[in-house]
Amino acid sequence: MTLQTFLFVCLSGVVLGALYALMATGLAVVWTTLGIFNFAHGTFIAAGAYLAWQLSQGGHSAGFLPNAAISIASLFAVGVLFHLLLVKPFERKPNAVLLSVMTTLAGASIVEGIINLVWGPRSKQLQSIVGDIRFAGIVMSYNDVVMIAVAVAILAAVGAFLRYSTIGRSMRAVAQNREAAQLLGLNVPLLYALAFGLSAALAGMAGLFVGSMRFMTPSMGSEPLMKALIVVIFGGIARFTSPIYAAFVVGMLEAFSTYYVGLYWTPAVLFALMIAVLMIKPEGLFGKYERSV
Amino acid sequence: MRYDPPFRRTPGFIPALLVLGVLAAFPLLFTDSHARHLLILVFIYAIVAASWDLSLGYGGLVNFSHVALFAAGIYSYGILAKTLGVSPWLAIAAGGVVAVVLASAIALPILRLDGIYVILVTLAFSQLLYQIVISQSDVTGGTSGMVTLPGLKVGDYRFIGNNRIGYYYVALALFAASIAGLHAIIRSRLGRAMVALRDNKYYAMARGVSEARTRLAALAISAFFAGIAGGFYGSYIRVASPDAFGLGQLTLILSMVLAGGAGTLWGPAAGAFIITLLSEAIADYGSWRTIIISLIIIAVLIFYPGGFWAGIQDLRDLVDRLRTSMLALYRRRYARAIRERLLGATEKMITTRYGKVAVADTGGSGPPLLFIHGNSACKEAFKYQFADFAADHRVIAFDLPGHGVSHNMDPETAYNVPAYAEIAETVLQSLGVDAAAVFGWSLGGYVALELAARGKIAVRALAIAGTAPLNVVPDDFAAGYNPDSHLVLAGKRFYSPQEARDFAGSATAPRSADSAFLHTTFRRTDGRTRLYMISRIGVTDWPRQMRMLREGRIPFAILNGANDPFLNHAYIRDLTYGNIWTEKPHDIPDGKHAPFFNQPELFNAALRAFLQYAASLARRPEPAAAATAP
Amino acid sequence: MSGALLELRALSGGYEPVQIFRDVTLAMDHGASIGLFGPNGHGKTTLLKTISGLLDPWSGDILFEGVRLNRERARGRRRSLYFNYEVLIPRRMNPQRVVRAGLIHVAQSNLLFPELTVRETLAVARLAGRGRADAEALRQQALALFPRLRERLGQKIRFLSGGERQMVSVACGLIAAPKLLMLDEPTLGLSPKLRHELAAAIHSIRQQVPLIVVDQDVDFLKSLIDTLYLFDHGRISGRIERQDMPSHDQLMRMLFGQTH
Repeated sequence: MTLQTFLFVCLSGVVLGALYALMATGLAVVWTTLGIFNFAHGTFIAAGAYLAWQLSQGGHSAGFLPNAAISIASLFAVGVLFHLLLVKPFERKPNAVLLSVMTTLAGASIVEGIINLVWGPRSKQLQSIVGDIRFAGIVMSYNDVVMIAVAVAILAAVGAFLRYSTIGRSMRAVAQNREAAQLLGLNVPLLYALAFGLSAALAGMAGLFVGSMRFMTPSMGSEPLMKALIVVIFGGIARFTSPIYAAFVVGMLEAFSTYYVGLYWTPAVLFALMIAVLMIKPEGLFGKYERSV
Repeated sequence: MRYDPPFRRTPGFIPALLVLGVLAAFPLLFTDSHARHLLILVFIYAIVAASWDLSLGYGGLVNFSHVALFAAGIYSYGILAKTLGVSPWLAIAAGGVVAVVLASAIALPILRLDGIYVILVTLAFSQLLYQIVISQSDVTGGTSGMVTLPGLKVGDYRFIGNNRIGYYYVALALFAASIAGLHAIIRSRLGRAMVALRDNKYYAMARGVSEARTRLAALAISAFFAGIAGGFYGSYIRVASPDAFGLGQLTLILSMVLAGGAGTLWGPAAGAFIITLLSEAIADYGSWRTIIISLIIIAVLIFYPGGFWAGIQDLRDLVDRLRTSMLALYRRRYARAIRERLLGATEKMITTRYGKVAVADTGGSGPPLLFIHGNSACKEAFKYQFADFAADHRVIAFDLPGHGVSHNMDPETAYNVPAYAEIAETVLQSLGVDAAAVFGWSLGGYVALELAARGKIAVRALAIAGTAPLNVVPDDFAAGYNPDSHLVLAGKRFYSPQEARDFAGSATAPRSADSAFLHTTFRRTDGRTRLYMISRIGVTDWPRQMRMLREGRIPFAILNGANDPFLNHAYIRDLTYGNIWTEKPHDIPDGKHAPFFNQPELFNAALRAFLQYAASLARRPEPAAAATAP
Repeated sequence: MSGALLELRALSGGYEPVQIFRDVTLAMDHGASIGLFGPNGHGKTTLLKTISGLLDPWSGDILFEGVRLNRERARGRRRSLYFNYEVLIPRRMNPQRVVRAGLIHVAQSNLLFPELTVRETLAVARLAGRGRADAEALRQQALALFPRLRERLGQKIRFLSGGERQMVSVACGLIAAPKLLMLDEPTLGLSPKLRHELAAAIHSIRQQVPLIVVDQDVDFLKSLIDTLYLFDHGRISGRIERQDMPSHDQLMRMLFGQTH
């Protein structure tokens, strides 16, 4: 391929990577902190998109940023609610993980159903930022550039929050040893709820971008869920940065695969690779120790 | 210790045949096409749900590719029957084979994975299959799927005719065969291996169960049924749609398994019935449908994880509770005279903290002698003792809670040994007795030991039979009793008539004119007493009883039947007793588990001799009891 | 007995459905320290976990400074065998409340937080003691007691040796500003040298904080505590005051003479 094509494919990979990083990090936050897999994560992404769309309708739209903020804040609340109703009832049970898989799966159906009821099945689209950037003979949309910038900024912020703030440190402590955290008086239920809320907020943010890049339908969340799943498996969840690196790897893989093998085969390729990783190195390419669930 | 009844019939067999009969007769009575359609769907989904339960509920593998294999069966049918022109019947069978092959491929990565990784790998595989299917649009029709698949027919007869009665019976036959097959597998060695792995993996592996092979078999067999169901579904609906691979379909079938009750075969089948009909009833509600079904899943998981099947069990429990209550009430009112005549004593009800118990009391001023009966028996078991000792003693016996004509009580608080001992204290105190000689049989022996150890009633002489004193539980329980298969029944909640006969026969005496009342009292006994006796075994302060025996301050005798099949006589002999009559257990020849009933003369003579011994000790100044303790 | 620091009244508990300990009754006066001694697997750790709130007690009460820590048991009649009543019953113990009251439990062989640094771990412990004491002073004191840790502040816990992790555990216990500190086998598995260091540190802590110590070494306990409780098969089977305390071998003979 020519240099130009190569650069183009790489850039597509970066764009995808940034998007996937946003989607996967939320999933990883819940996975590391609570040890469960939130099947409703995809529908959170969809919900974020739809909320933002709703807010942007009509003459009372307050503008992109406030709408985004409201949408994200609402998703945070939804995440907390989800934790309270669907995950917390099982916290004392030995097979809490499997049970919460099933309840979050059911919860996902409910959210999707609600979206379908309220907004109907017809496709919608979020307003994307119009305009392009040109450099080195390559064209990139403003939307993509902003998304990369925002994703990097947000993830850096979340990373810093987890690393340096008191609450972030408490969340990490709870993730690593729940019992020891309890013995030091950490408020575990609150921290769990915060983690879930944070995860949902990140999903909402991802939703804003997915909604502007793809068509919005009530079931738009299932593809991002699968992508996030692939990323988290690929990268493991040993560190906060693991899914981020993995997201870019997957983004690149997808971009190049689409170029060579075509759009139809690429998902199959990605899934096959994911299965391979699960078989060979279950803790992920960047994983250090295996989080046993 | 597995209870192996000599017959093969299980309690669920007759109801299953009934249901089958009703379903077979259904289309002959109701010719409505839509009703048949619904039932056909129910049968298909029931096969998928029940086979999923094999790997999920019994095997403990949360296999999220099961529904995708069902979809693979549909597509195999489509490709083989439509594109390649293979006979539909063969195509259905091939659906099963294809599913098995795919399942084997899926099984390889997860043979040694656990927990969430099984879910993720199987989910990934199902998505992989989905992606392959929609990408090969020339073969599979891509996202539009395949339509106008050939239907079933034999010769010129098309099964859709006569309001689809042909399909109905084929579906019913497949359903019945699947359930029978799955049932057989669960009861086979493989089924037991699966459950063993699920419950305690490392123990099972240490016992030689191969984890890899068992998992592979579980997944392959589940897949076979799902594939067949898929093939048949394709021949009936005649459409192959890629939606079958989606999470929506997965959630629907999962709801059937969970709402019906995972880990039971019938549960998912019942769940398929309920959910399909429910789904039909709310079909016009659009998106509400998925919401409601999802809410059901969540409600079941949180509040009633056992599902419909557990509901049936709870109902059965309630009905049985009422039955035993009614039986006790009836006998309490109408058979009192018979009982009083049998024992030669007046019967009255005494109120205790837990409820009312029935007490037989000969009255009089002789030294009080209390008899405590055992598991699932009643006070009338001591009729020979009442006859013999009433002349010179005040003989007292009461029905334990949930036994005889005493009331049923709250199992959590009342159905355990310390509570029984407390009830015994209340009974004696209500009768104005503060010192007594006590004899306890089997479970009653533990109550007698507890009564003496509690010290609220002065026990002048303590004798037991059919009881192995315990110190550390549950270890000593295994040491003190033989692994007799009938002993397993001691803790069982519900009995079949055969089991009741077996246990009553070995615990007291085989059924005869003489022992008939002991067998009938069996049916009255609240099964929960047996259940809670085992589950609450840790509540009793066993070391305190053992210390009391060792200290030897109370004259003590063991009057077991020499050939008691339940007891480990060596264990009982080897325990340390501070003060035991005849220095060791005094066996009653040919007494079996209830020597006071089977050899009444020998037993009564021995008991009398012991009571005299205890009385003579009391007259002497305090003898030097063998003391340990600091 | 309202003057007691910690009071246990007929406390029973375990892991449903297995009961581990029963009818534990004891009272600790202010300033006194007690020890728990008994063979492994008899319920001492489970008892401590119940007091600190990780497990719910089945019956009985826990009073700390006169205040009952456990919630009254909501005991409705269970009519159904299969209904999940657990989801409706609130927990009887709240570990956070126990820590806030000043009752700190240093668990046995604690894995702590593998990916946090020592510094971060100590910082988490500070949160436990907030409002009760000068956090910085306690931290300095802890580091003075365990000088080894000064060099390890920037290292992640999982790179520490077992002994160093124990030190971090005890240091956290101190930094949490306890009014009563419970130590579960603090010297377990340590080399003699480390055991000596840790024992010295614990003796020093004893000067300002009353302790409950579970340990297998009677001689270690002897010098530390005022009353020794013997624990056997989930029950308190004896109580020895400081003046009557026997040697390790004497105690072994006493215990095993009794049970078997």
